[in-house]
Amino acid sequence: MLRVELTELRKRFGSVQALDGAGLEIAAGEVHALLGENGAGKTTLVRALYGVVRPDSGSIRIDGELVQLRGPRDALELGVGLVHQHFMLVPELSVAENLALGERGGLLLGPRALRSHAAGILERYDLGFRPDLRVGELSVAQKQRLEIARALSRGVEILVLDEPTAVLVPSEIDSLLELLSRLREQGCSVLFISHKLDEITAVCDRVTVLRNGRNVATREVPGIELRELGELMVGSELPPPGQPPRTQVGPVVLRARGLTTPPLVGVDLELRAGEVFAIAGIDGNGQTPLEEVLAGVRVLESGSLELVQPPLALISGDRQRTGLVLGLGLDENLVLEEAARGGAPPEYRFGLVRPRELRRSASAAIERLGIRAAPDDPVRTLSGGNQQKICVARALRRDPCALIAVNPTRGLDVRATAQVRDELRAQAERGAGLLLISTDLDEVLELANRIAVLFRGQLYPVAPAEHTRERIGELMLGGAAA
Amino acid sequence: MRRAELVAPVAAILAALALSALLLLLLGANPVDALGALVKGAFGDRLALENTLVRMAPLLLIGAGISIAFRCGVWNIGGEGQLYAGALVATWVATRLLPGAEAVLLVPLVLLAGAAAGALWGGIAAGLRVGRGVSEVLSTILLNFIAVLGVAWAVHGPLQELSGAYPQSDTFPAAARLPMLPGSLRVHAGVLLAMVLPVAIWILLFRSAAGLRLRAVGLSPEASRYAGIYPLRETVRVLLISGGLAGLAGAVEVSGVTGRLFENLSPGYGFTGIAVALLARLHPLGVLPAALLFAALASGSGAMQRIAGVPAVTVQVIEAFVIFFSVGFALPRRNG
Repeated sequence: MLRVELTELRKRFGSVQALDGAGLEIAAGEVHALLGENGAGKTTLVRALYGVVRPDSGSIRIDGELVQLRGPRDALELGVGLVHQHFMLVPELSVAENLALGERGGLLLGPRALRSHAAGILERYDLGFRPDLRVGELSVAQKQRLEIARALSRGVEILVLDEPTAVLVPSEIDSLLELLSRLREQGCSVLFISHKLDEITAVCDRVTVLRNGRNVATREVPGIELRELGELMVGSELPPPGQPPRTQVGPVVLRARGLTTPPLVGVDLELRAGEVFAIAGIDGNGQTPLEEVLAGVRVLESGSLELVQPPLALISGDRQRTGLVLGLGLDENLVLEEAARGGAPPEYRFGLVRPRELRRSASAAIERLGIRAAPDDPVRTLSGGNQQKICVARALRRDPCALIAVNPTRGLDVRATAQVRDELRAQAERGAGLLLISTDLDEVLELANRIAVLFRGQLYPVAPAEHTRERIGELMLGGAAA
Repeated sequence: MRRAELVAPVAAILAALALSALLLLLLGANPVDALGALVKGAFGDRLALENTLVRMAPLLLIGAGISIAFRCGVWNIGGEGQLYAGALVATWVATRLLPGAEAVLLVPLVLLAGAAAGALWGGIAAGLRVGRGVSEVLSTILLNFIAVLGVAWAVHGPLQELSGAYPQSDTFPAAARLPMLPGSLRVHAGVLLAMVLPVAIWILLFRSAAGLRLRAVGLSPEASRYAGIYPLRETVRVLLISGGLAGLAGAVEVSGVTGRLFENLSPGYGFTGIAVALLARLHPLGVLPAALLFAALASGSGAMQRIAGVPAVTVQVIEAFVIFFSVGFALPRRNG
């Protein structure tokens, strides 16, 4: 039986045709994968299914009924739930309060009823945390579980997960995939969005591939080859994985001594020209404070940071909050860093913009990185991958001598990932020092000449002989601290 | 301004008009006649038009200043106080400091003194924000009271006319009065100045690197900090600019219209200026039609009372409708 049928959906945002006749069918008790590159229309398609985006044309059928969704409430009524890439939880409220939010009469519950309501849900979905814990204190994986539990507790039988694994580390991914197969056994239908091919083959029954807002194929997953799937997605052969740059390592470009600001304790590091120095580690071990220190927005308790060889550029780990001003256009985001502190980018003369120059620079960046947007499109309307490419383009504009990249390919598809990594590698080959702070072990191993692991605010160097997945994984879990 | 951005203000005005018509019906008046009288009172003859244009000037200056402040995420509610501060210092310069100076010198000095005083009044709020973390919403509101009372004190004390008859300043010397614009309309040169400055603010906001910083801070202080902008520095800057524009409006009022300082100088220009900015969707050029609308409502209300027999306060209700709907329609929609 088909639970969901989306046919011939079209949707246009400004100059971008996000959906161009895309469709999808999900059967009962099926884990269906939705695969596609950034900007292929995956997110728009599921948002149409969840009633957040109203398609310009096309039809949505749920359990055979033709429906008009006016909002998420309508979708929830019909048993469709969406867990976003960015969680819809209120970090200041407790787990119990978050579970009651949006529930009919949920705000009227007294403290005791609130607790028992939450305890019931936590028990049923096997979540091992207390209902009075503040959501802000949960880990990313726990928040995701909470969101899934909240959806299921509201009678959701068609669960849509928008790139759920992008924010998880390998062991957490495994347990999420296990959860998905359990849900299937209980008769739930799952739409699983990902562009990691191995995850799709691990758990999904069928896969629909989108490209440029259109369906390319729907296939049975068992027996499919990764290579075939990847080629369907990108429309051509997959790029081979890259190698760390082979360059002459030069003088020190950036030096930190005894950086201390909670939770960082006495972090020493030296970055040299021409090398890729990677800091691996699981999120929450001090990556964000380290990024803030390097960005110059956090005061140190003690220690010093010396930029030996300016300029320095930073690709922030949170493109939506700190990397880009979402309400500004691509063009203005591109020049923002140079316009800061009283400066003026070359596209400005006497402090005033030269519109044609600005347009030309923006078009050049769009061309070079294959961004799907017009120069003055607000960045808010672009897909995550396109947003990330803008961050990269901005960082590279001034030919930095020290380049810091924090999770530069998080949430990016295969082709965009390869492209960003190539750009970064080229920077090291040009003679810049690249400091890569990444929670993605594959990325670290693919790019780095030198590796250290950040664990509970301390940096543990990894000898070249130990550059293996197993050893670094061990260090990430505290193997050196023990 | 893109075409889509025009939809919300126009819808707000139409909705306000519809509701106003209903109100006029309830009051027993024919809405078409009453609104016709209002339009006639605002634009019907030379005098009416002059009155409207002169009332538009302070709204333009304050509205443009509020627009740029709100765009930077700085909620300056102190236009009224900044206007009074500007009028006070402008009066001091004109009647006490340099009453004998030549017009070529005195008029610019009076205007500059007013702008500087307004900027200083905004600057106090900026200082409190930077030094003590006091929200500018609170400090600017409270500074309104201080400035209004400061003017009351001045016209009862140091700036009172030398004859001591009334609580008001001496009249400005002729050399301190804004000249009239050439042409058949008798309006002072401040009106032209007030129509040019929003264009300058538009260039600053949307065409300059400095304006890019201001907008970036308003849209995302976090991302701006990461890009190397100091949000507080922009806050200070924008409070000085918008305070300066409101202070200039005060100087224009005393130098161009009243020719002296007294209590209740402003019929709430500082607050109507906020409504102007909101109706204009914080666009400095949109301030031009928005200020014209609010000025016309104010100057046409007397005629509406006379001709249609509707109380003049009805216009304040209509103004409130416009504000209400422009805020309602101006809120960004959350969903695609």
